[in-house]
Amino acid sequence: MDQIITAVVAVVGVPLVLLGYIILGERVLERLSDSLQKWIRPYFWALPAIGFATVFMVYPLLRTVVISFRNSDDTEWIGLANYNYFFTFPDTLTALRNSLLWLVFYTAISVALGLIIAILLDRVKYESIAKIAIFLPVPISAVAASIIWKFMFDYQPPGTPQTGTLNAILGLFGRDPVAWLVNSTTNNAALIFVGIWTITGFCMVIISASLKAISSEVLEAARIDGANEFRIVQLVITPLLWPTITVVGTTMIINALKTFDIVYVMTNGAYDTDVIATRMFSQLQSAHYGRAAAVGVVLFIAIVPLLIVNIRRFQQQEEQR
Amino acid sequence: MAEVFKRLSSRAVALSLGTLLLVAACSTGGTNGTQGASATDVTVWTAWGGAELKAFKDVLAPFQSSTGIKVHITTNRDSTNQIANGIAAGTDLPDIAPGPTDPTQVKSWVSKGALKSVETALGDQFNTYIQGTYTALTSAPGGATDDPYIGIIGGKHYELMVKTQVKGLLWYNKKVFTGTAPKTFDELLAINPAQYGANRLFCAGFESGAASGWPASDQIDNIIMRQSGDQVYTNWIQGKQKFTSPEIKLGYQTFLKEVSDQAVFGGRNTALSTNFGKAGDPMFKSPAGCLFLEQATFITSFFQQDFPSLNLKAGTDFDFIAHPSMGNSQYDGNVNGFYDNFSMYNDTPAARKLMQYMATKDAQQIWANDGGTLGAIKDLTYTDPIFKNAAAVAGTAKNLLVTAGDFMPSDMQKAFWQSLLNVTRDPSSLDAQLKHLDQVQAASYTTS
Amino acid sequence: MSAEQVTTRRESAVGAGVSALDRLGYRLQRLPLHLVIIILCAIWIVPTIGMVINSFRGLQDMSQAGWWTVLFPPHGFTLDSYKQVLQIEGVAPSILYSVLITIPATVIQLAIATMGAYAFAWMRFPGRNLFFIVIVGLMVVPIQMTLIPVLQIFKAIHLSGTIPAVWLAHSGYGLPFEVFLLRNYLGGLPREIFESAEVDGAGHSVRFLRIAVPMTIPAIASLTIFVFLGIWNDLLVALTFLGVSPFRPFTVVITGLVTSFGGGWQFLTAAAVLQMSLPLAVFIFLQRYFVRGITSGSVKG
Repeated sequence: MDQIITAVVAVVGVPLVLLGYIILGERVLERLSDSLQKWIRPYFWALPAIGFATVFMVYPLLRTVVISFRNSDDTEWIGLANYNYFFTFPDTLTALRNSLLWLVFYTAISVALGLIIAILLDRVKYESIAKIAIFLPVPISAVAASIIWKFMFDYQPPGTPQTGTLNAILGLFGRDPVAWLVNSTTNNAALIFVGIWTITGFCMVIISASLKAISSEVLEAARIDGANEFRIVQLVITPLLWPTITVVGTTMIINALKTFDIVYVMTNGAYDTDVIATRMFSQLQSAHYGRAAAVGVVLFIAIVPLLIVNIRRFQQQEEQR
Repeated sequence: MAEVFKRLSSRAVALSLGTLLLVAACSTGGTNGTQGASATDVTVWTAWGGAELKAFKDVLAPFQSSTGIKVHITTNRDSTNQIANGIAAGTDLPDIAPGPTDPTQVKSWVSKGALKSVETALGDQFNTYIQGTYTALTSAPGGATDDPYIGIIGGKHYELMVKTQVKGLLWYNKKVFTGTAPKTFDELLAINPAQYGANRLFCAGFESGAASGWPASDQIDNIIMRQSGDQVYTNWIQGKQKFTSPEIKLGYQTFLKEVSDQAVFGGRNTALSTNFGKAGDPMFKSPAGCLFLEQATFITSFFQQDFPSLNLKAGTDFDFIAHPSMGNSQYDGNVNGFYDNFSMYNDTPAARKLMQYMATKDAQQIWANDGGTLGAIKDLTYTDPIFKNAAAVAGTAKNLLVTAGDFMPSDMQKAFWQSLLNVTRDPSSLDAQLKHLDQVQAASYTTS
Repeated sequence: MSAEQVTTRRESAVGAGVSALDRLGYRLQRLPLHLVIIILCAIWIVPTIGMVINSFRGLQDMSQAGWWTVLFPPHGFTLDSYKQVLQIEGVAPSILYSVLITIPATVIQLAIATMGAYAFAWMRFPGRNLFFIVIVGLMVVPIQMTLIPVLQIFKAIHLSGTIPAVWLAHSGYGLPFEVFLLRNYLGGLPREIFESAEVDGAGHSVRFLRIAVPMTIPAIASLTIFVFLGIWNDLLVALTFLGVSPFRPFTVVITGLVTSFGGGWQFLTAAAVLQMSLPLAVFIFLQRYFVRGITSGSVKG
């Protein structure tokens, strides 16, 4: 009951408080001189947003870097010991390797599939329904998706009726069931595929919107010139879509590196499927804060190039404004 | 425009001030734990929920009605952490709550005076409690003065034992396995399942989502404690015994005999992919998939719910054999189990009365009657033949040893559980796995 | 060029004086296309359907035969799994807690983001670009980087394990993207409207509340859907800040079901279907805004 009251108070109260903040603040501001107003006002308005961002992102970022150089009790500096642990521990190396696999395959395949499906669907009449089908996994949680695929990957002893869809299909072709999540050769691929399954619809929708924006004259001209469909895709469509593809690709790369839910729910990193995020969580759970922080910092460093790209892109957009 | 603005603003101001006050009021209002340092109220924290919580309330009902003392129960799965914070910050603690599982914490809290002794709480009743409760739960092995795992520090007890479960039991389908119970592990391995019409000797299921591997760890725990003794076992939990040491390695090798393709139903992949709750199902199919499933007492409800049409009855359709000896008779008294306990954190008259009550036969009998568990007192009456049997096992145990993984730091536990999965999948990787576990061990028990 | 235009053009070119056989040949040429699309759609839909069907089956059936067997009698449908899962301790309350976490967190962050976006869009001040770059940059920071210090902050202000803590955390994490998106949208509003209001004597609060916000409703609406779903589906933030608290949301409880002694496949399916049904309902009914929301802001030419 308490919780419900607090929630209702928050839903009603916070906007009201902000409203009061704006209105009262403006009243005060208007009594000040013009130049003072112009100087203070923007900070006044942006303060809540900047404040939150600072408290929850900027400060923690810096603090995590600091923690990564200290021990878990936060009592002494231990230099690079946590990083040393990170790079020499076979568990973390496995996690790094797996995260790299995610980075490459999850990104490449979901973007490529998104592109291909967008192009293919553009050519059929039942495009809308098919799009809904492909997009359906996007709004559901990774947890639900993991449960869905746990069933798909289910394994029963050879010779007994299979309950997992994939092994049942294998059975139709007379082959033995495969323990998808246990077997080293298949498990990472299986997990990455679940990730791809959940996100391809997202890529497809964005790319499809751009695709529709390509003027029909350009495509007609190419067809009249005698180019076949594959060449058109290769030489006309893809280059025109490149900005969109990069935006989508960047988002996918970030997703790949942050992957946690799917791995945690399906295997919790067992059988060499650990990724950076699950490693960090496991260190967090055992209160090895320094090490967890070091993992976080390494993850961040991996993302810095994207940070720079993102900022540059934003600056270009700004110039066009 | 200006007037509209003014009206808007004054209404808005009034509203927001009112809201602020409301928020402030609400947040100072409800607090999460009530103080009960008196003779008429007791605060209790417990991790129990669902059926266990209901059983606990059943236990408390006669107490509340006869003494008039009100018991305030809070379900709290993080009680140890919160109590630790409370001790450090000097804030209020619950009157009664489970004791900490970490041995260093037990020692530290005793020295800080946060844990009050059971001797104090029970007063005259203490001796009856000690005599009536399973020895394994109330005495330190080998007559030592300390056993932090059961709350004994400096010869005094700090944890009141109320319930217990036994693990490492070999379950079987009475209609399938009709032979005599094997006394030793070698005898067990020598049994030919085909003789009873079963496919394999064992069933196993290690899958459990993010916690996969724990059933395997139960199996190896039961092996090691009987093979190499409680000293080795306890040192191992505390990170003082290496995984590459001969005793632990022997434990792994013995474990592998239980999960080889020849020994386990469906082969290793099945053991690894099957959820623990369904692991026993092949025993009840025809032809039977296997003879034995090693599990704890709670597995019975899984058998029954998986086969509603068979209407399986404990004792008539299925039963268990105690874990056979590993050949070292001096260690045969080591039994794996877990227990529920309460410690007293505030010495108040009401808290003492509650502790005294929970130590009585009457209270624990209610727990036993609600089913699904053993009490900590030896001669309770059990109508369920399984638990009667389990009580006998607990009664003859010399030491009730906890499950190793549960008492290791969590990254060690994860590595340990997953190592069992990995060696089951690939037995030839045993040495590499053990070396890796040593690495994890070295890093995990330190604070950096 | 839409599908209809392509096909009609082709068909008119084809139909002009060409025999029926040729038309059939044309259709057959398109067969591989249709086949590929159908297979893809199957891969994307069948798994979900399988699980939903399983949620209506009993445990014994589920462990013995795959979901496709319901297509043949006996079908064995039952609502037991749903009944049972809702009775498991902690499940029903967690659904409530998911709601209690999601709605306020959404409201809080969107209110703050809109205010901040307005400032960034329509006020000039030194450091504006710098602040904005920092905020945009923060969009790529993995949450893991911030977990430990934020945990410590909550402990220090005695909010650990409480729902308001999660509101604040989600708000902090979501703000960068929201400010970015809303700023773009707000910046695109016509300058003249604001200027004429200013001339009429309307202060910033009026301009914001009576002009900017109403005109931004479409963007806010789409964003609301996203933010709402993102929080509803979140696991990591909830697990970190509420993992052992009694106020765990649905996602955390489901994950726990997979391992707890009370867990069984039949509970998992029912729980997953329940958890999915809200996002799916939102998607089905608010499809247009959903897609519009995704594509706006990212497809600027």
